[in-house]
Amino acid sequence: MATATKLYKQSWHALRQLQQYRTIASGNASASIKSRNELFNQEQKRQRDAVGRVEKIEVRYLGLPEDVTLVMNNHISTPYNCAQHLSEGHCKRSALALVDGSVPWDMHRPLQESCTLQLLNFNVSEPHVVNKAFWRTCSFMLGAALQRAFKDEARLQLHSFPGPNIKSGSFVHDIVLGAQNWEPTKAEMRAISAEMVKLAAQDLRIERLEVDKELAKEMFKDSRYKSEQLPSIAQQNQSRVTLYRLGDHIDISRGPMVASTRFLGKCTILAAHKVANEGSTDAFYRLQGVALPTGFSLNHIAYGLLEKRAQKLNSARLPNEPFEEQQQMQLS
Amino acid sequence: MLRTVICDLARLRLSGSTASSAAVVVTQVREKGHLSRPRLRNPYWFIRPQRSQTDDLVTGENRSFIKEVIHDTYGVPALIKGVQTYEQRQLIKTPQASATEDAQPWTPNVRRCGLIARKIGQYPLWLKNGERVRTTLLQVVDNHVVKYIPPEEYRPAQQPDVKHLHRYGCLVVGAESTNPALLTKEYCGLFKDSGVMPTKNLARFIVSPQAALAPGTPLNVGHFRVGDFVDVRGKTVDHGFQGVVKRHGFKGMPASHGVTKTHRRPGNIGGGGEKGRVWPGTKMPGHMGNRWRIIKGLRIWRVNTKYNVMWVQGSSVPGSTNGLVYIYDTILPLRRPQLAPPFPTLYDNDAEEQLPEDIWHEQVHNFNEESITYKPE
Repeated sequence: MATATKLYKQSWHALRQLQQYRTIASGNASASIKSRNELFNQEQKRQRDAVGRVEKIEVRYLGLPEDVTLVMNNHISTPYNCAQHLSEGHCKRSALALVDGSVPWDMHRPLQESCTLQLLNFNVSEPHVVNKAFWRTCSFMLGAALQRAFKDEARLQLHSFPGPNIKSGSFVHDIVLGAQNWEPTKAEMRAISAEMVKLAAQDLRIERLEVDKELAKEMFKDSRYKSEQLPSIAQQNQSRVTLYRLGDHIDISRGPMVASTRFLGKCTILAAHKVANEGSTDAFYRLQGVALPTGFSLNHIAYGLLEKRAQKLNSARLPNEPFEEQQQMQLS
Repeated sequence: MLRTVICDLARLRLSGSTASSAAVVVTQVREKGHLSRPRLRNPYWFIRPQRSQTDDLVTGENRSFIKEVIHDTYGVPALIKGVQTYEQRQLIKTPQASATEDAQPWTPNVRRCGLIARKIGQYPLWLKNGERVRTTLLQVVDNHVVKYIPPEEYRPAQQPDVKHLHRYGCLVVGAESTNPALLTKEYCGLFKDSGVMPTKNLARFIVSPQAALAPGTPLNVGHFRVGDFVDVRGKTVDHGFQGVVKRHGFKGMPASHGVTKTHRRPGNIGGGGEKGRVWPGTKMPGHMGNRWRIIKGLRIWRVNTKYNVMWVQGSSVPGSTNGLVYIYDTILPLRRPQLAPPFPTLYDNDAEEQLPEDIWHEQVHNFNEESITYKPE
């Protein structure tokens, strides 16, 4: 009995040490991430406080079980709050909201006026909007997973991710790595896929925040590539930048994302194509993967075909090419 | 191993007689063969073959595309030798050279591969002397060699009951090819190296290294010859909880003439005296059937190469109709072959030696021949 407790204590201590090592290891990166998150929290609070006197809006919900009119708070209530008035099932199943029949809206984004609301899941008859949002979220989650997977010595810098194109067969995230001849092994790819699955299991809410370009610059001052991209992004959006947060990972993206990481079902990260060298020590890499939403099961032959297709280099705009506005307009 | 109970009759006799010969009786006690141990989880090597079928939300177009991919990889579904399977054109075609030159000569001690078959029914055959012989039909269902494990690497988790196991290798043979989309990815991984289409059933055969076969080799009924003797292993029909009359063949008691409430009971279960207790192994009611049993020394009376069927002696092949059985060369010493059988197996490509469709034992009356006639004198 004494031996058993001793073994248990030893293994518990070992686990604690491992956890502490993990947090210590991401020392340098975590300082900038911490400050970024603090700024995000402050801005979120500031925007909430700036609402002032709460006004009511009428949100007409169209869908199952029946069409209802909900009285919600302007600039505070989100489609998720509307779903909470309907049922827990609606909350868990809705990935995206459709405002006024045509505008895709994040589930946790405050509504701005009286409107009609539809809650979309992956089983609707016209799933194009949700699918695109899902694909975009997968790219976003891949950035978060890479941040967690790589050690500081790898000198990982996230570059960007192009707009979603499901027909291309893969979702993409471009990175810059401090190694010019990285050939990813199967084990490494599996480890990154495992990080994605871990994120999905944690059921992290995906929050949206629109900020001024000054604040965005301040938040991303440690990231070279984001700082370079911010001016052109802000220019297209009336000097506002849309940020998304997932856990403690924050990134810039235009379009809507799904409500939470729980919607990621089967996911495999398949390839890391080297795009170009960057300087003397670094290089651009394009990480590609394929995923299915939760609730969709496929036999291994069919999924294998998807995996094979996703391994081919995605033809979306490469990170080292000049960022053209026309291309950006085409991406939706 | 069968448990045997040795009863020393001398000791049971109440009156001691000194000069009597103590007859020792050895009876086979056919039990389960192992203790009941609660098996709480699958062993580490277990791979679930069947995929839990859920409604794949796949469009009709995509479903036919996936089917097309499977047909391109493995071939179109076809009825080959009476079994629904796929034409597997990409499998290793055993070249003629390996069949004649490299093949090592057969010796009586060599262990050959076996076959996986289904018991498809029973039928009488008549010998030329008029004797009727009951036979069981066994159809070899789409056997392909999946893998060969040499003796140095073969370390099974559950050791088979074979002497000097370290001398032998193991051939994994698969039967009845299935659509891989219905199976799990891990199970299909067993067939990835060989390129054989995943099968429903797998079996291991302990073989000598000389009898090793290349992965992908098809095994047909020509592996055995008419007149050879085989051992057939199968799982017996599950009779459930049975009484002592059916289970052990006890006679029971008369139905009438004053017999009270005792018609099919075991009666006495032991004697008195020094060992006045119920002996272990006493035959009592209990679970009957659903056990692996090997019937040894069955003669092959007839073979059909078109449908891969063999007619074996007797009606005691374990299992019900359409049950799986495993066929081996017999271990009975007096029924072992004198002449070399096809070694390591009969290859289809030997064009000069194409077997005829129906092969009958010389003693068996061929139904296509004329019946026995008597000339009037």
